Amino acid sequence: MATFDKLNDLRTRRENLKKGGGDKRIAKQHETGKKTARERLAALLDEGSFVEVDAFVETRSIDFDMQKKKIPGDGVVTGYGTIDGRLVFVASQDFTVIGGSLGEMHAKKITKVMDMAMKMGAPFISINDSGGARIEEGIDALSGFGDIFMRNTLASGVIPQISVIMGPCAGGAVYSPAITDFIFMVDKTSHMFITGPSVIKAVTGEEVTFDELGGAMTHNTISGVAHFECSDEDSCFEQVKKLISYLPDNNLSDPEIIISNDDFNRLEPDLNTIIPDDANKPYDMLDVIKKVTDDGDFFEIQAGFAKNIIIGFGRFGGKTAGIIANQPKVNAGVLDVDASDKAARFVRFCDAFNIPLVTFTDVPGYLPGVNQEHSGIIRHGAKLLYAFSEATVPKVNIIVRKAYGGAYIAMNSKHLGCDMVFAWPTAEIAVMGPEGAANIIFRKEIAQSDNPAEFRKQKIEEYREKLANPYIAAARGYVDDVIEPATTRQRIISALDMLAGKRETRPSKKHGNIPL
Amino acid sequence: MRKFIVNVNGNSYEVEVEEVGGATSTQAPSVIPVAAPASKPVEAAPAPAAKAEPVKPAPAPAPAAQGSEGAVKVTAPMPGTILDVKVSVGQQVTKGTVLAILEAMKMENEILAPQDATIATVNVSNGQQVNTGDVLFTLN
Repeated sequence: MATFDKLNDLRTRRENLKKGGGDKRIAKQHETGKKTARERLAALLDEGSFVEVDAFVETRSIDFDMQKKKIPGDGVVTGYGTIDGRLVFVASQDFTVIGGSLGEMHAKKITKVMDMAMKMGAPFISINDSGGARIEEGIDALSGFGDIFMRNTLASGVIPQISVIMGPCAGGAVYSPAITDFIFMVDKTSHMFITGPSVIKAVTGEEVTFDELGGAMTHNTISGVAHFECSDEDSCFEQVKKLISYLPDNNLSDPEIIISNDDFNRLEPDLNTIIPDDANKPYDMLDVIKKVTDDGDFFEIQAGFAKNIIIGFGRFGGKTAGIIANQPKVNAGVLDVDASDKAARFVRFCDAFNIPLVTFTDVPGYLPGVNQEHSGIIRHGAKLLYAFSEATVPKVNIIVRKAYGGAYIAMNSKHLGCDMVFAWPTAEIAVMGPEGAANIIFRKEIAQSDNPAEFRKQKIEEYREKLANPYIAAARGYVDDVIEPATTRQRIISALDMLAGKRETRPSKKHGNIPL
Repeated sequence: MRKFIVNVNGNSYEVEVEEVGGATSTQAPSVIPVAAPASKPVEAAPAPAAKAEPVKPAPAPAPAAQGSEGAVKVTAPMPGTILDVKVSVGQQVTKGTVLAILEAMKMENEILAPQDATIATVNVSNGQQVNTGDVLFTLN
């Protein structure tokens, strides 16, 4: 073959690879509102930045006449590119090529770019659209899954890992996303489950649709498996890019500083009146958060799951912070099983990636109830305490209103190593609410009183005046300062600035044993 | 005293139900004498209601008997007390409309409509204690 022909041969080979499963399958993919693997990478990455790796990889399997099948790229497109100029490694499964099924070489392509991401210290983004393990390849496909899970685990806390589910992701395949830091799902077109509706029907007799069982809505509201629900693929990629903007490249680097025009010392007089006079009235904690972050920007995570706690990223003076806040508007802002899980994992993510923690506390306590106790609120609630105690990043807490009992301790208190605790004058920091406390302390007196109801009311008021305020805690140094709410933004920025050089070490160990 | 229209086998009956303060499970059967005077077929009303919520105070069964259940159930997220029912049967609501105020954990929690719908049944009344998972409303 002459050199000229060799060049032509290369071009033809590459063209064929780019067609994936062929025009017919691509058309089918488009019909269902889905992009192809390559179109997705084009949408996610900076224009022209994608560099493919392993395009010519093919399956080694010869069982069931596999060698006769054409499997371009073995069903996955891998490589690297940039998002807003920052290096990321990517793998995008190609559903048009035998259903994006995962075989031995398919997995090897993915693990290769994962290894590269680890070496180069850059985020890894996986776009999942696969029918599952390639049955023909048997145990080699399983081995492939295992290799990916192992790397997901080793990379956890070293580089940010993001999973974008854009089609089926079933059976063993779900555990790679599950180990990663963030899962995006697209409405209607993405599904995640261990066993599908037909197996469930055969085994338990329950009838359920794909969407009800493992759609974006389900995993973003009921199960808490996913972190973002997107209406379509384009808006999903916009969200991924936005998320990346808050994150560092790896555990040894800091998030990019993006300075805005928002004044560091901006006063927010509205915050002085945001807390209702009546302690039983709720308000929207998101309003508080959006009044103090740079430009009111707040990127909420898991917005639909365990809404009684809010988590997400915002910037203070250009620097990313992980924000955790109780939401009094939903279920009184109690801590329950789901809220504890949601917040604890987020705290650990931020700690792993040098992102300071800023908390807004208004928590009446842990949720009472047989259901919660039997669901293991002891075990789940412990995660939050563990996560805050373990975190060595700068920690700032603003106690806005209620901070009662064990929940007060759990919410980034001084006792768990919080660096700067600020309280608003509306804060009520006590062992329990005035009503409950008065009932216990004055039980006998109330029973013996001539007018128990009146006496009780009086004692509640007395307790409230005496103990339900920030000054007792401030007198002991558990609160560093009681601040005017309007000054919250400047106090947070100043505290984070002071804490920027914080160094805190923990006893050397293999790893702790967080209650799971 | 609250008035309800009860449909039994196509006949509609006007029933007056008196709320018994601090009713407990032992008092629940008192709903039968209260409802009975309206007319004979009405006896059918307490039966399904009693089956559904045998330990609820008197006012609860009456609304349950009225109209048929909707497809979407709105349940209590936490144990607490219903302070204020803000909607009635047949009312159109949009997603996010406040259906009731549930006082729980010393906080007035808003119970919101999960979607645009019509109120099919109101299963609770003011002052009623509810537990996690109790059906408060059903919607269509």
